[in-house]
Amino acid sequence: MLKRRVRSRLAVTMSRLNETDIQGFVLRGYNLPLARYVFLHFADASRAVAFIRELLPMITTGQRWDGGKPQSTVNIGFTHRGMVALELPDATLLTFPVEFQQGMKKRAEILGDTGLNAPERWDEVWRDGQVHAWVGINALSAEALEACCSAVLAAIEETQGGTVLFTQDAAAVMVDGKPTTREHFGFTDGFGNPDYLGIARKSQPGQGKLMPDGSWAPLATGELLLGYADEAGELPVAPVPHILASNGTFMVYRKLHQNVATFRKYLDDYAPMYAGGREKLAAKFIGRWRDGTPLELSPDAPDFALTQDPARSTNFTYGADAAGTRCPIGAHIRRVHPRDAFGFQGRLINRRRITRRGLPYGPVAAEGVPASDADDRGVIFMALNASISRQFEFVQQQWIEYGNDSHLGNDKDGLIGNHDGKGKFVIQGDRTPANPPFVCAHLPNFVELRGGDYFFLPSITALGMIAMGLVDPR
Amino acid sequence: MPNQNGSVFGLTILSPIIDDERVTPSHDLQIRRYLATLPTGERSPFAIAPGTHLARLVVMDDVIYVGAPACEEHLKSKYLVFETNCDSDLPAYIAGLAEYVPQHLDAVWSHCVGYPGAADRAALIAYMQKCQIDTTFFFAAVNNKTVPEALRALQTQRAVTDFIVRHQGMAKTNPARLQAEFMRFAAELKAKPIPPAGAGRHDAETSRPIKTGGHNE
Repeated sequence: MLKRRVRSRLAVTMSRLNETDIQGFVLRGYNLPLARYVFLHFADASRAVAFIRELLPMITTGQRWDGGKPQSTVNIGFTHRGMVALELPDATLLTFPVEFQQGMKKRAEILGDTGLNAPERWDEVWRDGQVHAWVGINALSAEALEACCSAVLAAIEETQGGTVLFTQDAAAVMVDGKPTTREHFGFTDGFGNPDYLGIARKSQPGQGKLMPDGSWAPLATGELLLGYADEAGELPVAPVPHILASNGTFMVYRKLHQNVATFRKYLDDYAPMYAGGREKLAAKFIGRWRDGTPLELSPDAPDFALTQDPARSTNFTYGADAAGTRCPIGAHIRRVHPRDAFGFQGRLINRRRITRRGLPYGPVAAEGVPASDADDRGVIFMALNASISRQFEFVQQQWIEYGNDSHLGNDKDGLIGNHDGKGKFVIQGDRTPANPPFVCAHLPNFVELRGGDYFFLPSITALGMIAMGLVDPR
Repeated sequence: MPNQNGSVFGLTILSPIIDDERVTPSHDLQIRRYLATLPTGERSPFAIAPGTHLARLVVMDDVIYVGAPACEEHLKSKYLVFETNCDSDLPAYIAGLAEYVPQHLDAVWSHCVGYPGAADRAALIAYMQKCQIDTTFFFAAVNNKTVPEALRALQTQRAVTDFIVRHQGMAKTNPARLQAEFMRFAAELKAKPIPPAGAGRHDAETSRPIKTGGHNE
C-alpha cells in the first residue's frame, strides 16, 4: 500500500525522461548477443566532426522498441583527449571532472591498478593515450553486426573522420545455441543493475535503493544522468554548457582478462579441504551459485526457479546474516552492492551505485574443456555513472581493492582483486558439517586488467551540437 | 562526555598562529611545510609517542561562507587545528608527546601565539588546556580498546588466520598434531611483543596519494 503511494507521488513529481534524447546504451542493456567496440583516433577536428554528423542518424536512442528489437544498435562516447581533438572550446573542456580529464591510466594508483594490472602491462592501444572515441555496436546476428559495422566504417571512410585504432569483439556465451548471461568462470551475471527515477524499465525488488519499510525504490536520476538531481538532491558535477551535459553520462571501459585455468586450478586445489565442496566454494567467492541463485536466499543448493523469479532473484538483504555464514562478508556481490550490510538502512551505498553493461570476449571454454590463461578471454566491463570518482572509483578503491568498510582489513575482493599471490578470502561458516569456516589463501589474480579508459556519452542533442560546432560555454 | 567516547578520548586543540608580516615565509606556511614532510608509518611522531589512535593537524586559514547572498566574515586569526583520538586525557597525552617527540611539538607549535616550549611540561599542558575546545560528538574508530590492545588484536587476527591457512583440514587427518601445534602457536603468540604502531603500512616511505575526495562526495 505504502509502495503504491510512494510510486504515485513520484509519478506526480517526476515526468518520464525524454528517451529520444538519451543514448539507448545508457538507458537499457540491449540484451543483444554480439558486440563490436570500435576505437577511433581523430587527426583532424573538422573531418571528425563531419563523421559525427554522418553518424548521428545511426545512433540508437533510448526510445522504446515497441516495434520489436532492432537488428543492431550504434552508440558513441569520447575520451577527454577526444573532445580536445574535436576542438571543443577550452572553457568547456576545463569544466569536465578532473578524473575524466585525467583518464583511467593516470588514476591507476587510486584504483589499485598496479603490479599485474599496471598500465605498463596493458594492451598497446591503451598505453599511449591515442583513443579518442568508442563506437559501440550491438547486434542480434553476425550478419547484422557486419552490416552495421560496414555502415559505420563507410561513414569514417567517406568523411576521413578518423583512424580505427582497434576493434574489440564481444559476445554472449552460447549454451545449446542460445545466448546466456554467463561469463567465462561459469557464473551467471547481470542481475544487479539499479533502477532510476523516470527510466521505464522492467524493475524488480533489490535493484534500486532500500527504503525504511524494506521496500525498494528507484535511485535518483542524477546518479546516472547528468542534469538531474542525484541522491544528495544536487546536480552532479558536469561540464558547461548545461545542454552539453544534460542527458549524458560517463562510461568506464575496462578490459578484464580472466585467468580461467588459474581459477579452475585454485578451486581444484582448495575444494578437497573444504567440506562444502567445489561448487559451494565457487559460489562463496561470488555470493551466487553458478546459475545465479543468491547464497543469501539459498545457501545450501542452487535453485534455478529462484533465479527466474524477478520478485526474488535480487530481493534480499544481509541484515539477518551479519556474520556472513550464508553469503560471506567478502563475497563479490556483497562487496560491490552491500545493500543494508553497513547499517543505516542501506543509505550509505545509494551514492555508490553503478550501472553495468558489457559482454564476455574470447573463446568460450565450457567446464571440462581445457583452458589456458594465455587465451585472450575475459569480460568487457563497462560502467555508467554520473560521477566516475564518487561512484565507480569509490567502489573499485574501497570495496574491491580494500576491505575496511566491511571490517575485512586489507582483504580485497576474492574474485577480482589485484592479489598477486598474496590475497586472502575468509569464508565465514557455522557448525553444520557442509558449511564450515574456511580461509582461501595465496590468492592469485583471477582477473587482470588489460586496459581501458573513461568516456563521455553525450545526449543526442549534445552530439548534434558537437556535430554542428555549436558548443558554446558562454 | 564531550571529550570521551568509551575509553577513548577525543581531543581538539585550536592554537592561534602568529601573524607577523615581517616573517617570510609566514608562520602558517612554515607549519604547512613542516606538516607536509612529517613521516608517516612507524616513524610518525604519533606512532613514536604512546596512545594515538588517529591524529590530524590542519592549518585553518579562515572560514568561508558558502551560500547566497555572499557574506564576508573572517576569523580573528589563522589557527592550527589539532585533533586526536587518544588513550588518555589531555595532561597525560600531551606529556607523552612532550617526552617522546618534543622536537616535533616545538617545530610545529613554535609558530603559534604563546607557545611555551615542550621542555616546560607544566606550562605546555596549561597552554594546551587553554587552547582546548570541547570535541562534542566525534567518531572513534575503536571505542573501548587502548592502542596496544588494538595492535595486539590485529596481530592475533593475522596470526590466527595464518595458522588456519597452514592447518586447514588437519582436524580430520591428525587432530592430535593439530592440537599440539595450536598449543605451541598460542604460547608463541602470547610471548610475542606488541607490534609497533604504524607498522605494516605499504606507503609509509613513499608517496601519499590522494585516496578519495573531490567535489560532491
